[in-house]
Amino acid sequence: MSTSIMDIQNLQAKIGDKAILKGLNLQLEPGKVHAIMGPNGAGKSTLSKALVGHYDVEITGGDIVYKGKSIKEMEPEERALEGIFLSFQHPVEIPGVNNAYFLRTALNAKRKHEGKEELNAAEFLRLMRDHLEMLGMKSDMISRSLNEGFSGGEKKRNEILQMLILEPEVIILDEIDSGLDIDALRAVSEGINKMKDGKRSFLVITHYSRILDYIEPDYIHVLKDGKIIKTAGPELVAELEENGYDAIEEA
Amino acid sequence: MKLSNLKDLQTKALAAALNVKGREVLVERLAELGLPSKKSEAYRYFDAESLFAKEYKTLSYLPKTIDEGEKIVIVDGVVASAPKGLRIYYEACEQIDLEHFDPMYYLGHLLSPHVIKIEIDGDVELDIEHHFTQSDALISYRIVLYNQSNRHATLYEDFVAEDIENTLVLYGYDMHIARDSTLNVVKLQTMQDKQYNMIASNRVNVAKQANVMLKSFDLGGDQGLQMLKVDLDERAHVEAGHLLYLNEESKRGIVSQIIHKGEYSTSKQEAKNILDGHARGIFDALIRVEHSAKYTKAEQNSKAILLNEKAYMVAKPQLEIYIDELEASHGATTGQLDEKQLFYLQSRGISYVEARKMLVIAFANTLIETVKDSRHQERIKEAFESVFYTNH
Repeated sequence: MSTSIMDIQNLQAKIGDKAILKGLNLQLEPGKVHAIMGPNGAGKSTLSKALVGHYDVEITGGDIVYKGKSIKEMEPEERALEGIFLSFQHPVEIPGVNNAYFLRTALNAKRKHEGKEELNAAEFLRLMRDHLEMLGMKSDMISRSLNEGFSGGEKKRNEILQMLILEPEVIILDEIDSGLDIDALRAVSEGINKMKDGKRSFLVITHYSRILDYIEPDYIHVLKDGKIIKTAGPELVAELEENGYDAIEEA
Repeated sequence: MKLSNLKDLQTKALAAALNVKGREVLVERLAELGLPSKKSEAYRYFDAESLFAKEYKTLSYLPKTIDEGEKIVIVDGVVASAPKGLRIYYEACEQIDLEHFDPMYYLGHLLSPHVIKIEIDGDVELDIEHHFTQSDALISYRIVLYNQSNRHATLYEDFVAEDIENTLVLYGYDMHIARDSTLNVVKLQTMQDKQYNMIASNRVNVAKQANVMLKSFDLGGDQGLQMLKVDLDERAHVEAGHLLYLNEESKRGIVSQIIHKGEYSTSKQEAKNILDGHARGIFDALIRVEHSAKYTKAEQNSKAILLNEKAYMVAKPQLEIYIDELEASHGATTGQLDEKQLFYLQSRGISYVEARKMLVIAFANTLIETVKDSRHQERIKEAFESVFYTNH
């Protein structure tokens, strides 16, 4: 599709010796929210890892074309600088790396890449504080070590904070709703909705439809056994809720 | 003086070679333990013999008038200045530990018949700066430190070397931490060029309900070994932390014995080692819990990150336990940087090289941040980053 921002073409990938993605095709349209749903083991997380260049995943065939260029050989940091962002299902804890310092380093790397002037510490802190407040996060998040000792909800909010500050163009949300209570889910969803500007694309990977009540998807894709087996509008969610994934296979 | 000449000497010959009289017990202990060599358990991974084979000039240790200054400044083993009102003087050491495992503890005492005695009275912060100005020298001195009951003192120790080379420093403390008192010792060593090697042999005696925190940040080059023996009385507590950052061919580390003698005594020892080049790090640490030390809690851990495949970590955490009523744990890990953490940083646009640096600094920071005073914490962070960035 010529209008897509990301075109995943016949993607095949394995982890170790096990083939997980078996010819996956998907086009992400600018400004649209694409939700990927599927049973356990279908390859949802492998897809998200493949898109950001995770070391676990080896691409064995097909291509990922982003803004007209193949990115499958690009380093993870290059993909990030080009505007691809993954909100991790399980964000890693990094004791000793200050949250604000980390995020400022990341933001300034991106600004430098874009030929913009880097932000100094004071400018950055102002920006960070504004976003913290919006996400209902405590101000001590600035000085704490990256994700260390954070609750599940705090980690997910921190992922969204990074997304808001880095302003990526393709946002992959891997199980963003897992482990969130209703308040955290609402705050996280507000953060995501704030990023919708008609240009950015979202790839929302989820088991459950709950998050889709807050982030209205444009497309639902069903991923099963390493392939997209069905694409439809939001009405597909109700069908999945009622009949499960097996029914889709039969359809 | 060539220390290797003392090798294998029996008591009488040793006393004659060292020209000491009336300190037979110490000479006997030194003869019994023998001059360190590759065969000595405590020095197995340290190249002591190459240091002892060199000829060193010996210095005279005539005490000078102590000038008034903000810090205690010790130049080549002699006190040059000290804060006004501080009780600091030279005296024969009265309380020498006759059960120390380190022969260099006894050699140090034999070479330093008069020790620098510091009596800390009150809740104070003291800075001690050691200066070394002589090349090809054997600089040997010892410090005895007393603090008083119910007092809380902090000691910051730094080392400054002038343009010297090929010097061996033998120094160390006998610390007596009085009942219900607290002593924090923070030691920072950043010497990078091959200016001097050091063996620091320490003994720390922690009385009932006293607390001692010993933190060393060793960013030095060449060879250096800290020998540490800590005796804990009833409800006494020690928290020891050691950060090691080594590169090139340096061999440095710690050999320690923490001995729980009193009931309810507690210890926590943590080592973080970052090794680059062909460096060798040493963490050879024993915790012994004696029959008298029921309800002890002891915790010991060493973590090492190897930044080069030629770097090598000797990690020997050991527990020696004679009772059942205690809680004790120990462990050691040696590995590379965590690839999940590296990937996370890269996935946010931070380059691989920068991400590695951030993780190394973060690893060091977890120990540096245990220094509560923010000014000193910042100073150590800066020192670490300066040394690390010089090499990366």
